[in-house]
Amino acid sequence: MKPYDIIIVGAGGAGMYAAMEALQTNPGLNIAVVSKVYPTRSHTSAAQGGVNAALANRHKDDTVELHIFDTIKGSDYLADQDAATLLCEMAPYVVREMENLGAPFSRLEDGTIAQRPFGGAQKYRCCYCADRTGHTLLQTLFEQCMRKGVKFFSEYYLLSIEHDGKTAQGIVVMNMQTGKIEAMPAKTVIIATGGYAKMYWQKSSNAAGSTGDGIAAALRAGLALEDMEFVQFHPTGLRKSGLLISEGARGEGGYLVNNKGERFMSRYAPEKMELGPRDLVSRSIEIEINEGRGFDSDAGQYMHLDLRHLGGALIKERLPQIRQLAIDFEGVDPIDEPIPIRPTAHYSMGGIDADINGATAIPGIYAAGECSCISVHGANRLGGNSLLEVLVFGKQAGHHAAVTASSLNPGAISTASVEKIQKEIEGYSHHDRTERYSDLREDLGKTLGANAGIYRTRKKLEKGVADIMEIKERFKKVHVKDASAVFNTNLFQVFELKNMIHLAETVARGALAREESRGSHSREDFPTRDDKKWHKHSIFHMNEAGEVIVSDKPVTMGKHELQERTY
Amino acid sequence: MDEKKDIYFKIYRYNPEVDQKPFYDDFKISVERGVTILRAINYIKDHVDSSLSYRFYCQAGICGSCAMRVNGVSKLACTTQVWDELENCKEKDMITIEPLNNFEIIRDMIVDYKPVINKLEKYISWVTPKIKQADLGKKENIISEAEFKVIDAATDCILCAACFSECSMMSANKEYISPLALLKAFRMVKDSRDTRSDERMAVLNQDHGMWDCTHCYRCVEACVKNIPIMDAIQGVRNEAFIRKQNGTEGYKHANAFAQDIRKTGRLKEATIAIRTKGIFGAAGMLPFAIRMTLRGRMPSMFVKTIPGIKHVRNIFRKIK
Repeated sequence: MKPYDIIIVGAGGAGMYAAMEALQTNPGLNIAVVSKVYPTRSHTSAAQGGVNAALANRHKDDTVELHIFDTIKGSDYLADQDAATLLCEMAPYVVREMENLGAPFSRLEDGTIAQRPFGGAQKYRCCYCADRTGHTLLQTLFEQCMRKGVKFFSEYYLLSIEHDGKTAQGIVVMNMQTGKIEAMPAKTVIIATGGYAKMYWQKSSNAAGSTGDGIAAALRAGLALEDMEFVQFHPTGLRKSGLLISEGARGEGGYLVNNKGERFMSRYAPEKMELGPRDLVSRSIEIEINEGRGFDSDAGQYMHLDLRHLGGALIKERLPQIRQLAIDFEGVDPIDEPIPIRPTAHYSMGGIDADINGATAIPGIYAAGECSCISVHGANRLGGNSLLEVLVFGKQAGHHAAVTASSLNPGAISTASVEKIQKEIEGYSHHDRTERYSDLREDLGKTLGANAGIYRTRKKLEKGVADIMEIKERFKKVHVKDASAVFNTNLFQVFELKNMIHLAETVARGALAREESRGSHSREDFPTRDDKKWHKHSIFHMNEAGEVIVSDKPVTMGKHELQERTY
Repeated sequence: MDEKKDIYFKIYRYNPEVDQKPFYDDFKISVERGVTILRAINYIKDHVDSSLSYRFYCQAGICGSCAMRVNGVSKLACTTQVWDELENCKEKDMITIEPLNNFEIIRDMIVDYKPVINKLEKYISWVTPKIKQADLGKKENIISEAEFKVIDAATDCILCAACFSECSMMSANKEYISPLALLKAFRMVKDSRDTRSDERMAVLNQDHGMWDCTHCYRCVEACVKNIPIMDAIQGVRNEAFIRKQNGTEGYKHANAFAQDIRKTGRLKEATIAIRTKGIFGAAGMLPFAIRMTLRGRMPSMFVKTIPGIKHVRNIFRKIK
């Protein structure tokens, strides 16, 4: 079989932008996009609030420089400054390109793209399509991929990334509809499979499939992961389901209120109030709850997000999806009642270690979007910068893979690797296996939430690591009861669980090692940032024995010196 | 503690690998208020039968994966409350779960979604921008919020295919464009940034295209995002009139209707076929017409004018 020039794994924002850009760079390339779901199902669709770009449509004095600074400060100075600079410099271009290609951005009175305030930004910089920006961008990208004739392999599950230590060779996948395992050879592979925050399960806003498949496959393929301990908790998840109420709700003027009726953010971010950065607002809610100022319910303690003063007309026009979510999942109409919210695991800053072209240490293997760590978000991502990242670095990876592909001539994927995978999968259905998938998944989510959540300590994290290692052992006995080859969702869930367990180990080990508090990583036993010892990226490898090894690498600095981060 | 109830789920099962034909499985579980259909069937999958097969992803009503029929109606499992569905049960506290209609079944509630993609491709469901490739990203188009208002609801579509499943025309003819593709076509036709509307309108005008909708409104009732799909279907048809694409059967059919109503207030059904398809086109319907006549079902060639015809004509004048 002739290798593809590029195989893109993942059909969300980064994957589809990469496909579009690669065909732009060289229309003659043979490209395949492989995804475990149909493209428009991808989790990019759930991004509500918007995408940052210093267009200066609303605040005429906004600049790319300010956007860069906000991003670096927001990252608690852990972002690589060359990456953050590129992100913000390309932002106006990619947002306008998406607009040119049909994205229905909301408009200002003069007909230009509308912008609203967002957490951690000094100016009104967030471009939006009502409160369904991710959905409309994903639709637009899919439309454009259809226009360009991109070849999609929908409902193919990634099993491994193949290389010979010198160059990429392709991937091994399962055709989900038939259960057939197939080797797909390729000169270049772009991993764009999204984040891993679903490992927190009950306490996560993520789609069921945000299980870090590409990141875990990269880890097992010997690639480096970076900054895995940084998981962002979004302050406003719905109380019962953990589903997200966008920062747009606070951007439009929503209040966070405790059981005393106080807008408690005045204590923690007197200037920015509700629009402080996410890590800070989540911690503030956690403190309020711990000090007895939360509301009680069966589903746990919570706070109020009050939109009532905004009025029904504004809520209906600018926050229609949020209103529907509150009605569908909490039975609360925000026009009449405050929305019950609590922090929820939302975004993974860590991922596959990649440079500003999306390239990893193995020539021909690239990563883009939430699965990558380039690193633009450092220790904490700003709202509106994730959609931006998928566009900018999807473009980067697509372009560079297209340029590189012609110079690579990979060897064939070894039949041994395919057979090894085959054997592992057959093993899952052995009758002497007793562990139930859903038990392991629940236990993993619980220990992560309790021991590697918003507030962390050595004691909790040691317990977390021990629990995860026990779950990893129990996984060896996990049983797939469904014996069918046809669309075996039971089997896919077990693949996903394995990925979550492997990545959970990196999260907990990274958090245990990092003895400081920075961005989303808050150690009660080390409550301050320690630039002397810890101003560096964490790096994770898996050794031959399947153990996770933690090391580090320096942060790329630029013109912005380290400063204290206050809002 | 929240109140709980024993609820029966009657679930469609079919695995072509082992089953000769589809059957139903019954599961009884205890469900508290506030639980969605998706959470209930996830519970069954996790604790009772791990082979139960269905798609789900975002669990928040935005990705469109989990559309299935609940008590006979296509909807998203993730946004539908179990307790609300108890009102729609045929048998007390027994909720029926089935795959979408109008699709081939892969397994249980998992259907073959490819026809949706094929239709989107056929009807050029994308913007082909005026701006040259090399100039993309340099500046934004100036567009009024009012222009976007027209397509705003249509851009809400998540392609869940509940409308596709409920569409009565779709069950009669799998070649039919489908409501969701019509909605997307409307969204593209009304977008001033697009340059291929003429071509798109030409495809829409072909057989199985925009004129085949029978206005049963089931798509509108089923839409999980409450999109007024029928307005969009009327919108693309109206576009044919605006563009004076008067050569097509659909155009002639609609025109014949309007003429009849203006003239007499009633349809002259006997000649509608001739006026729509022309003499030669209608000739193919001759056997049908003969059968109708033999059974005494052929409508009369003579149509009486209704008493209030003045008012009807006034309405036409006002519209003009």
